[in-house]
Amino acid sequence: MAMKRKLMPAFFVGPHLILFIVFVLIPTVYGIYASFTQWNLNSDPVWTGLDNYRTILFDSESTFYRQFWNGLKNTLLFVALSVPLLIIIPLMVAVALEHKKVKMKGTIQAIIYVPGLISISAAALIWSLIFNKQLGVSSNVFGSDAVWSTTQPYAWMIIIILTIWGGVGGNMIIYRASINGVSKDLYEAGDIDGAGPIRKFFSITLPSIRFPLIYTFVMTTAGAFNVFGQPLMLTDGGPRESTTVLMMYIRQLAFGHGDSIAGMASAMAVLLGVVILVISALQYYVMNRNAN
Amino acid sequence: MKKKLALPLALVFLAVAVLSGCSGEDKNTITFWTPLTGEDGAYMNQLVENYNATNPEFKVKHIVTADMYTKLSTVLNTGKGVPDLAIIHADRVPGYVEQGLLEEMTTILAAQPEIKEENYLPQAWATGTVDGTQYTVPLDIHSNVMYYNKDLLAKYGAESFLDDNVVTIDEMLSLKGKLETGHYVVNDALIGWVILAQIQNLGGDIQENGKPAVNTPVMKQAFEEIKKVADAGLMTPFGEDGFLQFQSGNVLFSTDGTWSSTAHASVEGLNFGVTNVYSATPEKYTNRASSHLFAMLTNKDRSDEKEAGIGNFLEFIRQNSLEWAKAGQIVASKEVIESPEYKEYMQSFFTSNEEQIKSLYIYTYEHYPYIQEAIDQNAADLVRGNVDMDETLAKMQKQVEDKIAQGSSGAQ
Repeated sequence: MAMKRKLMPAFFVGPHLILFIVFVLIPTVYGIYASFTQWNLNSDPVWTGLDNYRTILFDSESTFYRQFWNGLKNTLLFVALSVPLLIIIPLMVAVALEHKKVKMKGTIQAIIYVPGLISISAAALIWSLIFNKQLGVSSNVFGSDAVWSTTQPYAWMIIIILTIWGGVGGNMIIYRASINGVSKDLYEAGDIDGAGPIRKFFSITLPSIRFPLIYTFVMTTAGAFNVFGQPLMLTDGGPRESTTVLMMYIRQLAFGHGDSIAGMASAMAVLLGVVILVISALQYYVMNRNAN
Repeated sequence: MKKKLALPLALVFLAVAVLSGCSGEDKNTITFWTPLTGEDGAYMNQLVENYNATNPEFKVKHIVTADMYTKLSTVLNTGKGVPDLAIIHADRVPGYVEQGLLEEMTTILAAQPEIKEENYLPQAWATGTVDGTQYTVPLDIHSNVMYYNKDLLAKYGAESFLDDNVVTIDEMLSLKGKLETGHYVVNDALIGWVILAQIQNLGGDIQENGKPAVNTPVMKQAFEEIKKVADAGLMTPFGEDGFLQFQSGNVLFSTDGTWSSTAHASVEGLNFGVTNVYSATPEKYTNRASSHLFAMLTNKDRSDEKEAGIGNFLEFIRQNSLEWAKAGQIVASKEVIESPEYKEYMQSFFTSNEEQIKSLYIYTYEHYPYIQEAIDQNAADLVRGNVDMDETLAKMQKQVEDKIAQGSSGAQ
């Protein structure tokens, strides 16, 4: 019986643990190993130590240096543009849906949430048609002359529009759930003290949903760093590589034309991972400290 | 209660473990991977079905494999689940042979006397020959070609451009100022391939003594020639969908692929024909092409009997690949292209005489894929003058060199 009790947890944890080891842990460790090698996926990797990192970070003559820094710059730009919007808009929607006079809350929530379920490639196809110069609404109805996918700042705009369209729902659900969990007494007390809606939002709602806010902020940022589908499908990294994000360079190197350059791609991926880790940790630290 | 739960969980656990080790190989089946994820995959299915209907000892199982080259790397590394037969693109051959990933076709050629150089389009056959050894058998040539809108040509009196099979840039420029607003002479579909054709037309190459030659006077001239068309306002505007504009009947010429003919044919009211890609010089025309090739990837488990079965399948394809012409491709087997039925297909234009056949040019330089990638990434901007020509060519040259240094692994 005692033996059985010991085995029980293993059965519950086991499947996940195996999947985690096979599909996350081993690839991660191997990816880090690959980043120290020169490897074309076909022949054996050749150990080159820190060469890849040295090239990417310091050899300003190298193509990989140019690609990494341009990719990182574009990725950071995407994060800076998208993350605030992906926090503020869902928060505003969630708060607005709390108003007594809003009807059909469930339906509205569903409508906003559904785009998040559609695959990015399908969604990108639809949006690229909307912004298509010949067929799209942007030119035929609104009379825009620009070719959106190949002109800045429009190229970034369509990427951000698609991202927000698809990303608002997820965070909104979290905010709605946590706002529902805030004690009604607090709002009543606020009413008695004569607090207006704005005051109540900043003094009651926001502090009460601190943890969901930190969580969504960190997760949305990490997700935004991994952006790939939107620029690939909408702009193909253009115009002039101004929307080529780091993930696109990484994929091009590892699985693009000709022999794979998997070692360099892995090194870039590891560096991207480090950036995400550092920024997430910083966010968590700063927000948590301020919250206390 | 606990017991009841534990059992199904254990089963799930087991199933995961068992399934992950599953390979499903069959001794009497030829596993056949292709990267044909588009419409052409269905035509290949039909070909395979036709072959299996002849009741061969070894039936063929066609598996359309997305991201095939990545998956090939994986199975080749582990040595498990390597397909018996695969279709690869011409530009993969030199790299694969150098890395020892392809098996020779020697025994198949010995067993099938009709599978020989004379029975195939010469350049399609030759891409599989490395140092005198044959590694592949060709299925087709698929090429960059130029479609023309017959109605628009008549409207602008440009039908004479087609007289000598070479539409020159000068001829195109003669239409400057004569077109209605919203009409263009040519689009920028597959513009990178058009550049690669001009390099041949201008007598250049993409390599010098095995070293990549991107930042060269010929390359610059190729871009400058095409740029003339764009500068004159005759090319569809930057970033716009030129393919669609051709189908909408606003563009005289479209430089896309042989395989697009089926898509163009489905457009109601589009009266179109096909000719060679335009050239910077009246003396020469080139259509940058590639080829789908049957290849056997290194696999110790492939039995001699199975190899004989593969030989039978390839011989069947040689005789019966007319089906493949429906996909718009230029079939490589001479028996097929010389048949009267094939003449009904539009692409038979490119095999109508020796000179035409020669115009289908397949680059076989080992590092060609990197060069094409660099050209594709920058061609549209270079042609429109969005970027500085010299600076960009230098950047492209550097990119190709850096990639070659990294991509060709030092392990050999």
